[in-house]
Amino acid sequence: MLSIRNISASYGRVAALSRVSLDAPAGAIIALLGANGAGKTTTLNCVSRLVNITEGEILFEGRRIDRLSSDEVVRLGIAQVPEGREIFARMSVRENLEIGAHVRRDRHGIAADLERVCGYFPVLRQRFAQDAGTLSGGEQQMLLIARALMARPRLLLLDEPSLGLSPLLVEQIFAIIRQLNQEGLTILVVEQNARLALAVSSYAYILENGEIAFEGPSAELAQNDRVRQAYLGG
Amino acid sequence: MTRASYIVAAVAAGALLVLLPLLGSGYIVYLANLMLVYIVLALGLNILIGETGQFGLAHVAFYGIGIYTTAILTGRFDVPFLIAAAAGVLLAGAIGLLLGYVSFRMRDIYLALSTFAFGEAMQWVYRSWDAVTNGPNGMRIKPAELFGFRIATDHDAYPFVLATTIIIIAATVWLRRSRLGRAFRAVRESEPAALAMGVDVRRAKVIAFALSAAYAGAAGGMFASFSSFIHPDSLGFTETILVVTMIVVGGLGSIPGAIVGALVLGAVQELLRQAPSYQEILYGVILILFMMYLPKGLAGAVGNLARRAG
Repeated sequence: MLSIRNISASYGRVAALSRVSLDAPAGAIIALLGANGAGKTTTLNCVSRLVNITEGEILFEGRRIDRLSSDEVVRLGIAQVPEGREIFARMSVRENLEIGAHVRRDRHGIAADLERVCGYFPVLRQRFAQDAGTLSGGEQQMLLIARALMARPRLLLLDEPSLGLSPLLVEQIFAIIRQLNQEGLTILVVEQNARLALAVSSYAYILENGEIAFEGPSAELAQNDRVRQAYLGG
Repeated sequence: MTRASYIVAAVAAGALLVLLPLLGSGYIVYLANLMLVYIVLALGLNILIGETGQFGLAHVAFYGIGIYTTAILTGRFDVPFLIAAAAGVLLAGAIGLLLGYVSFRMRDIYLALSTFAFGEAMQWVYRSWDAVTNGPNGMRIKPAELFGFRIATDHDAYPFVLATTIIIIAATVWLRRSRLGRAFRAVRESEPAALAMGVDVRRAKVIAFALSAAYAGAAGGMFASFSSFIHPDSLGFTETILVVTMIVVGGLGSIPGAIVGALVLGAVQELLRQAPSYQEILYGVILILFMMYLPKGLAGAVGNLARRAG
């Protein structure tokens, strides 16, 4: 479904990615792991067109998307859950969800999806009229995922869904991620929590200094000695 | 507040607005007209600063474009008043669009400074372009003619000014709830997240600039309907700061806030008309106090009280 081929990207003169290749077949959960600054978020931002690539190509369902604008990418069916709690703090929960459907025009479909995403996260419905900035950390993460779902994506780019959450909340969020995947959504998830990401994904890539250092079926990577040492704490 | 108390307040305000010209003297009605102009100015700046988060400080320059365009077209070319005023709105909107386009990549203090410079430059144009604006002597504005009626007094202009204000308030409420209004607020809250949602951030900013300028242009046309004179000294930075203070006092991003802020600061400005130097000090002090103690303005304070009351 998504195919990243030999892409490089840089911030000014600082190289961020060099010749990264990655595949996310339809229906899979693919994990992208690595330390801070390894280039995980940059990779996602290249796909959603928030960062320009300097070489290589990105294909979505066989079509090149690396020259499109970010709104065209959303329209094609790729939604991103950005890192760092990028909610619209002084807008209501409802408005946050509605802006997730910004590229859509089908009023009835949007209203139906508002119900659907609140089905995954019932707490959001209780907070509908509240400013999103008043939500707890876990609720904000749920809002971020729900907001991305409002675009009715076929590919979801998830950036650090476990960041700063209690183990119980992390478990809840990953249960929903599994459920969404079983309902047909393809997911590319970036995580620092390697143990969790390897457990939920079928295939994983590990970035080191902007390059793919390891890749393989998640179950195999979890057994790999070097991966265990560097990312799973021995 | 309950729905019933809103309705009572609205009916009372409506009755006051209708009765005002029957009871009030010429001066009172002149003040009412001026307040309505301030409301439109504040609503326009609120779109740019309050809703979209773009610190444009050239608002009064666009107000000037509305006033001078209307005055010149009616006075020299005998263009009907409504068409002249509409031309002022369009010209202000178009120049606002251009300003938004060229300053797209600037933000915060850089945007504030460059739009400030634009405002100063426009005041210089009003003051120095003798052939068109009559320069530092100021310019007479021909009494407007509306639907065959000659507007000779403030009383005559009041129905037009009031009706225009009401239409503009309604349009602003509609805009706030629209898809575009939501995009404005998303840009204000987080540009990267707005981009990730597929919001065309550049387009949203440029439209906000153009709309905000068009509001100021409309306010200029309204002013020209009841005023007989415009002087470039009244189109300076102090006037822009007055409008900024209005929306800060009312509460950035709030429509009722912008309206109340315009009324409160409009009254303050009129009371201090004889002491212009005190005005600037007072606006400064009010701005600082509100930023420190009531950053959400009167609208936020009323909201908190209502919540506490239950």
